[in-house]
Parts: sequence; C-alpha cells; structure tokens
Amino acid sequence: MKRLSYLLLPLVLFLGIAVFLFQGLFSDPRERESTALERPFPEFSLPDLMDETSQYDNSVFDGQLTLINVWGVWCVTCAIELPYLESLRNQGYRIVGLYYDQDLDPNYGTKTIQRVRQEVKQTLGKYGDPYQFNIFDVYRDTALDLGVTGAPETFLVDQNGVIRVHHLGDINERVWQNKFLPIINTIKAATSQDSEEEREVESL
Amino acid sequence: MNRIWILVFVQVMLFSSAIAQEGVSTDNAATQEDDYAENYQFDDPNQRKTFLELTAVLRCPMCQNQNIADSDAMIAHDMRRKVYQLMQEGQSKTQVIDFMKQRYGDFVYYQPPVNSVTIWLWVLPIMFAFVMLFAFILRKKKANPQNLQEKLAQADRLLKENE
Repeated sequence: MKRLSYLLLPLVLFLGIAVFLFQGLFSDPRERESTALERPFPEFSLPDLMDETSQYDNSVFDGQLTLINVWGVWCVTCAIELPYLESLRNQGYRIVGLYYDQDLDPNYGTKTIQRVRQEVKQTLGKYGDPYQFNIFDVYRDTALDLGVTGAPETFLVDQNGVIRVHHLGDINERVWQNKFLPIINTIKAATSQDSEEEREVESL
Repeated sequence: MNRIWILVFVQVMLFSSAIAQEGVSTDNAATQEDDYAENYQFDDPNQRKTFLELTAVLRCPMCQNQNIADSDAMIAHDMRRKVYQLMQEGQSKTQVIDFMKQRYGDFVYYQPPVNSVTIWLWVLPIMFAFVMLFAFILRKKKANPQNLQEKLAQADRLLKENE
C-alpha cells in the first residue's frame, strides 16, 4: 500500500502541474479587477471638446444610464469601435466621449486645440459619430482618477452616477452581449421595480 | 554538524528576500536618476530623492513589468506628473502610494500587501522549512540505532561465513 502511493506520487505531481499550466494558457495577465467599480464617478469639471465655454460636471449622469467612452483620434482601436458604438446610439443608448489627446502634452510635442478639433471632426465623419457630446479631459486627471490605463476604455454609469461596468479594450457585439447587457438589464429591472413601488405608495 | 548547516540555511532563506528587495529599488533609482527627473524641478534634493524612490516602486499598469520611472507609456508620464503634483501639495510617500493604489489597485505598488491571501507566500516556505527540519531530525533519531545494530549483526554473520 505504501509502495503504491510512492508510485503514484510522480503522476499526481505531474497532473497537478499540468492542470496549473493548462489554466495559464487561458489566463490574461493584463486582466485585473477594476477599483472604479461600484464607486461614484470621480468628481470632475471639464470643458466641452468643441466649445471650451461650456462646462460639464457630475450632473451629466443625473437620471439616465450613460456610457462613458474614453478615446482619442490617435488611438486606432477607438476608430474601429466607432461604427459599433454608433449602432448602439441608434438603439437609443446615451454615449458620452471622454476625450484626451497625447499631443497636447508637452512631453510629446505641441498641437493646437483647433487642430485637435479638426481631426476629431474628420475621424467622426469618416467612421461614425456615436457621441451626444465629448468631455475634454485636458490634463487627463479624470482618466487617472478612473484608473484608465489606455484607450479605448468604456464605463457604464447608472442614473445615480455610480460606475457599474469598466471595460478595457474595444466594444463589439460579443462584449456588449456578455458584459454590458446583463448589467443594463438588472439596472432597468431595479429601477422599474422602484417606480412600481412608488406608484403603489402613491395609490395607497 | 549537519544540523548546524540546516539552521544556517534556514536563516539565509529568511533574510535573503528582504535583502533582494532593497537591492532592486536602489539599483533602479541609481541607473535612471538623470533620465527623466530633469523635467521636474525640486527645491530640495531630498524631495528629488523621494520622487525617484516613488517612481521606482510604482508599477506602470499598462506595461507588464516596468516601474513608472522606466516606462515611456503615456500612463507612466501621467503618473509621474501626478506623483510630482501630489508631492508639491505636500503629500507624504505613503499618501502618494495610497492615491495610486486607490485608482489602480494593489498591482500598482511593487510591495504587495500582506492579507489573508498573500500571507501564504511568506508562511508556506517557512512552514515547509520547519517541517522538513523536524522530519529530518525525527528520522535520524529513529533510524540510527536500529540500523547500526542490524548492520553490525550482518557484518558479524558475514565474518563468520568467511571464516
């Protein structure tokens, strides 16, 4: 009996290591839990990308579901997801851009805001414009507060201004169906329940 | 004699990790000192030193294994600028690290926190060393006298056979 267990030991060790390494084949080393989830959207006060005289703050989230899409014209993947985002806009989703540009950074060179606006118009004209409006994250402070590591990234913010989904990378049909829709459905179910309860209270 | 060597080995195991970590951070700070810190101005050299230390221990969340001092990714630029900005506001080293942790998780700091999951990384090797030590001592105590007598008896038998 003792001898048998000694014989099996290498096999058990082998199987253990094999399972461990096999799992590693499908794990994504870049995947990390976002710290922004289930937290209120960080406080901000930023200008519109196209018109610096109009300012936005956290009240843009009041009362409606919003998708915040972090993007820039310099980002190739962002351009690729624009058509899909536009189709979401056509389905009635509210998409707001959080725009940032590396070329305005003194570390990378200088580009005037007029030039950036022109490029934005060009890109949106070419690939589709999903945005209600674009918030201009001038110094990228809000992106940093959100834990953004690059573009594109997309946040689903509920009607109370709380972040419910944080997605890194582009949005496509698969991501939308698996990651966003289930949560959107639970939010909608919760709000309709609330409003029903309110109605009941009123009728009483 | 053997036992002493094992104890020495365990001691070395226990202290080597601490030494290794200190080595890494000072090396980094020394090699990159003049590269990027030029972009930032400090009133006093101590502040500059703190800045270099901080950018060496904060990890770039975009790159797989680079600190923000070493990386040229845009996020690393932004994080360096933020570190500088927070330092100018008078925040301490731990405050700056906490600020980054809050946004990018524990991943962003090269020193992992000790919690219920990560404690095993420290405890298991030590436990393993102690278990092996005890197993070794027990086995030696038990095995020696019996073996010796058996062997002596066997030797006697062989000697008798040869006679």
